[in-house]
Amino acid sequence: MIHDFRYVRPERLDEVLDLLSDRGEKGCVFSGGTDLFVDIRAGMTTPDYVVDLKGIESLHHLSFDKKEGLSIGACVTVNELIQHEAVKKHYSILAIAGRELASHQIRNRATVVGNVVTASPCGDMASPLLCLDAEAVILSNKGSRNILLSDFVTGVKSTTLRPDELVEKIIVPSRMIDATGGYKKLKRIRGHDLGVVSVALLKRKDTLRFAISSAAPTPVLLPDFPPSASVEEVQAAAQQAISPIDDVRCSREYRAFMVNVFIERLMKGAE
Amino acid sequence: MVRITVRVNGKEYTREVVESRTLLHFLREDLSLTGTKEGCGAGECGACTVILDGQAVNSCLILAAETDGSTIETIEGEAKNGKLSRMQEAFHNHHAVQCGFCTPGMIMTIKDLLRRKPKPSRDEIIDGIEGNFCRCTGYEQIIEAVLDVTGQLGKKEGLRHVR
Amino acid sequence: MLPVNLEKRKDSGMFGDLRSGETRVIGKRTPRVDSIAKLTGEAIFVSDMAFAGMLFAQVKKSPHARARILRIDTRKAEALPGVRAILTGDELDYRVGLYMVDKYILAKGEVRHYGEAVAAVAADTTAIARQAVDLIHVEYEKLPPVLHPLDAIREDAPLVHPQLGNYDYIDTAFSPIPGTNICNHTKLRKGDIETAFKRSEWILEREYTNPSVQHVPMETHVAIVSWKHDDQVTIWSSAQSPFTLRNLFCMAFKLSHRKVRVIVPYVGGGFGGKAGIHIEPLVACLSRKAGGRPVKFTATREEEFSLLPCRSALTYRVKTGVSSDGKIIGQKMTMYWDSGAYADYAVNVTRASGYSAAGPYEIPNSWVDAYTIYTNKPFGTAYRGFGHVEFFWGIERHMDLVAHAIGMDSLDFRKKNALRPGSVTLTGEKIEEHTGNVLTCLKAAEKAVGYGRLTAGEKKREQRSGMKIGKAVVALHKAPAMPPFTATGVILKMNEDATVTANLSLTEIGQGTYTALAQIIAEHLRFPLHRIKISQETDTDRDPYDWQTVASKGLLLTGNAALLAAQDLLRKSYELASQILRAQPVDLDHDKDKVFILHNPEASVTFREMAVGYAFPDGRSIGGPLIGIGSYIAQGLTHLDKETGQGLPALDWTYGAHGIIVEVDEHTGEYNILKVASVFDVGKVINPDAVRGQAIGGMLQGLGTAICEGYIYDQEGHLLNPSFTDNKIPTARDLPLEVESMVVETPQLDGPYGARGVGEHSMIAVAAALGNAIQQACGAELTHMPIRFEDVWRSLGKKEPIDNWITKSPFGSCKSAPEIRKNRPVQ
Repeated sequence: MIHDFRYVRPERLDEVLDLLSDRGEKGCVFSGGTDLFVDIRAGMTTPDYVVDLKGIESLHHLSFDKKEGLSIGACVTVNELIQHEAVKKHYSILAIAGRELASHQIRNRATVVGNVVTASPCGDMASPLLCLDAEAVILSNKGSRNILLSDFVTGVKSTTLRPDELVEKIIVPSRMIDATGGYKKLKRIRGHDLGVVSVALLKRKDTLRFAISSAAPTPVLLPDFPPSASVEEVQAAAQQAISPIDDVRCSREYRAFMVNVFIERLMKGAE
Repeated sequence: MVRITVRVNGKEYTREVVESRTLLHFLREDLSLTGTKEGCGAGECGACTVILDGQAVNSCLILAAETDGSTIETIEGEAKNGKLSRMQEAFHNHHAVQCGFCTPGMIMTIKDLLRRKPKPSRDEIIDGIEGNFCRCTGYEQIIEAVLDVTGQLGKKEGLRHVR
Repeated sequence: MLPVNLEKRKDSGMFGDLRSGETRVIGKRTPRVDSIAKLTGEAIFVSDMAFAGMLFAQVKKSPHARARILRIDTRKAEALPGVRAILTGDELDYRVGLYMVDKYILAKGEVRHYGEAVAAVAADTTAIARQAVDLIHVEYEKLPPVLHPLDAIREDAPLVHPQLGNYDYIDTAFSPIPGTNICNHTKLRKGDIETAFKRSEWILEREYTNPSVQHVPMETHVAIVSWKHDDQVTIWSSAQSPFTLRNLFCMAFKLSHRKVRVIVPYVGGGFGGKAGIHIEPLVACLSRKAGGRPVKFTATREEEFSLLPCRSALTYRVKTGVSSDGKIIGQKMTMYWDSGAYADYAVNVTRASGYSAAGPYEIPNSWVDAYTIYTNKPFGTAYRGFGHVEFFWGIERHMDLVAHAIGMDSLDFRKKNALRPGSVTLTGEKIEEHTGNVLTCLKAAEKAVGYGRLTAGEKKREQRSGMKIGKAVVALHKAPAMPPFTATGVILKMNEDATVTANLSLTEIGQGTYTALAQIIAEHLRFPLHRIKISQETDTDRDPYDWQTVASKGLLLTGNAALLAAQDLLRKSYELASQILRAQPVDLDHDKDKVFILHNPEASVTFREMAVGYAFPDGRSIGGPLIGIGSYIAQGLTHLDKETGQGLPALDWTYGAHGIIVEVDEHTGEYNILKVASVFDVGKVINPDAVRGQAIGGMLQGLGTAICEGYIYDQEGHLLNPSFTDNKIPTARDLPLEVESMVVETPQLDGPYGARGVGEHSMIAVAAALGNAIQQACGAELTHMPIRFEDVWRSLGKKEPIDNWITKSPFGSCKSAPEIRKNRPVQ
């Protein structure tokens, strides 16, 4: 690595929180490192120290029960998530979107929580989690707070997380276990690529819910629709909510167009 | 500096490493295991793939310090007692190698794939090696090598002569 | 004198037995000679090498496309512990260049492209060197860059090289125009173009464009250089062409060739990007300044995109006159090649493309103006296909568009105009039966994709998917682009156990030539293949000369030199054996182990006994080590006339065709490639798996540039996508659902066993095949590649094409100006 830093691997959560409370702004916590080390190598971030969370047993926790819902600890990898039986059964949208994230090697390291905390507009996990009303459980020396992911991400690579805070886990409520849905992602090649634009759909008995990524500074969650909603209705709402940009990956126009295409495909259950 | 002990291809190594050193550079520079290659340093190309505690990973995005106590498999552990592994043998027979720079990472990725799915379909092979760029072969002969080693290669069409 | 067995074969030429068809090793499936070392991780690439006392280099790069360098402050960097050498352009007064000597080792006075090297550091570690580079402060005065070649040839355009008129260049091949940004103008004039247009029933004029792309060898450029006392320089490099590298290095530093040694071990892919001379002079100067310690520079993936060269962008304008029965009468072709900041190979890409510009078609009246134009962008170099991938996008799209316009099936139109025996090429070369057969290639591709109709299965697929299936067949050709006097040598050394080691300096960069050479040598010596070794590492101190590893010429030229060396080795074995056996050489024959008397086979002597000299029972000895030498030089080629382009540039023409099946979503522009069938007239297959590997690998590389690859700049000339994040290359999932590889074998009379090269050809024209099939499926008329889904969608919706190759610029877009008009032909 071009930039030098200290490496610490605490084994207790309170050690991490103490460290963050002391000098949180100078360090970075990480688990998979698949975003952090890319950024450090590119000189985009230059932390004095990095805190490896993997030594903390509890953060590896991935569990489901019908009362509490799904709990995804900070160190749970994307592959652990998408291979989990309860996830495949009750939260299939997470498994579908997770499979679209990068390559197998990256998914072996990249964490679900990390993908959300990085808050890249093109992250694959955020939009399905938004649809699922997922909450982040945030810890600090001063206590803990829960926040809906839709309130957590505030802009391109920015969240409400303070330097002294840590996302311990993401909780997906149990009331969503009946949900089905899908995830459509525009890529530049068939192989692994970040999402040029993507749409997640969560279908429940009484509602349709859509979230859109790479079409605004943050993932966009649309208001709920009844199952009887027309494709045009949803598309109109989506176009109101997004603010895509022109960049090297795509034009604003095509992003907006493909959002409508994906909405239609998801609603018609087409491939 | 931190002190780490790792087991690489069955052999234990204890070393002092710079904390910011990646696993890739640790293997290549500290252990002189240069079979694992660096193609991008950013987790995109898969040339640096090794198996860490049973999982294929991009060693360019992992710190050596993180791997203390781990078991690591690299290309150097594949041929044993002067004999190629079955996968290496199949690569050899099918011209699944051209320049050879992606080959070590590709072999490790496939080793991991076959542990998870001993008889992957053509599509599963393709999905499995998606994270490994190969600029030379166009992948087809690599896919055929995997099909062959898993007993699934039917009659190979090969190169057809026309008049 | 030739041994008798060779004389018997004389009627089939010296290039191996073409007629009997009975070969032991040639044409047979056999593994690569280099794969075991690569499979075990034991193959050592330069990136794996380290020497005692080695330093690590880092480069300070320009953030601007064009700027005056006002001041470089290196004081802070010098003070950093562990820094051993710092260089800026001020202290280096050497210019380097392959055909046009136009590039300083470090920018002097002015930077000419984003990413250009401005200063460099060698230090104890890469981290220290990086830190030192960050501490170097460069003050610039930004100047307005000229980014598009069509802007650069306007009269008021700023000059990228005001000193162009003073540069040394190869004047037999190139024509710079001093006082402009045109570093080469290649002209070709055949027949009477104006009359041809007057006689044409149809005139069609279109423009086709493609951006710069990156080669993406998996191993980035890397070199280690040590510059010792008495100017003894040793260079370990990932270079494709050790002798050309040495020659250019010696010319730049005015050193004797005997003082400079270039060593090339395993190379992790090249594709043309490692063909000339690149980072080696800079690394050498750092070593010299650091007192001769070896210095290593390994380019990062990001540096591959802008510090190191790319493939030139092209704007290609074609005007075609066609008779009422669909015969092309005249064609005017204008190429604007975007050289970037330096000429490097781009001038020769221009020249080679100029003389092939019409594709494998006969054009009785033709006119080519091909310009190489300096701009303030990373510079262009050789890339697999050497211009042909780029201009074939244009010419093979054009063939379809012309056919549509005149109401003719495009494949019929191709067949009608294809080169055939008796045809005359653009440069006046007559095509013979043995040149190769493009028609057979076209027909094979046609059959393989079921051109012109949909099968029941395909119709069903359309109904199921709602997508439209389109098919296309395109043709291609290419000859090696090289000086007419291109030469090479091979030395075969018989070892004590009658195995043979070959020394040569064509490099193995993945293309498989070493395996083919081993087969050629084994076949000719009648030895088993396992007794032949091609020395992997090339070393200019030890190995015989080879011009370069480029142009798909290695198999033919080095193959012939290997055949000659094998002949020489046999001749010397026979001479020695004739003395031992007391027989004339004409009465001798040999098998894999021994030379014997033809009519008395028991009288024999083994190769083992003769390998390093023969000792009689009493100890007296004769002979000495058996060494076969083969030198070969391209035969019968000429310079091209500078005014008319007429002459003989082609060592051989390899013809080919691709058939493609694609399905397109007419609503969104998304598409899937269902099949690509490729066929090449390779003359003779030496190794079927190697040919297939080249065919499929090159095809997918071609699809990469067709689908997604390309440099994107902002209006100030910053490269916006210099990494895999935004410059994708095909993965395994991007392979077409089905691929098929075929060969035609029309023997090349002067090729080894009839073989000709096929390393580059698979990449050529595949992009146009995709474009044509997409148009056939859904009507999208694309004139710019790559073809992103969005481009298809825009074309279908008749929206203005997006142009983000230079963002928000009116230039460089895929805008074409279709000019299709019906003429009143003058008889």
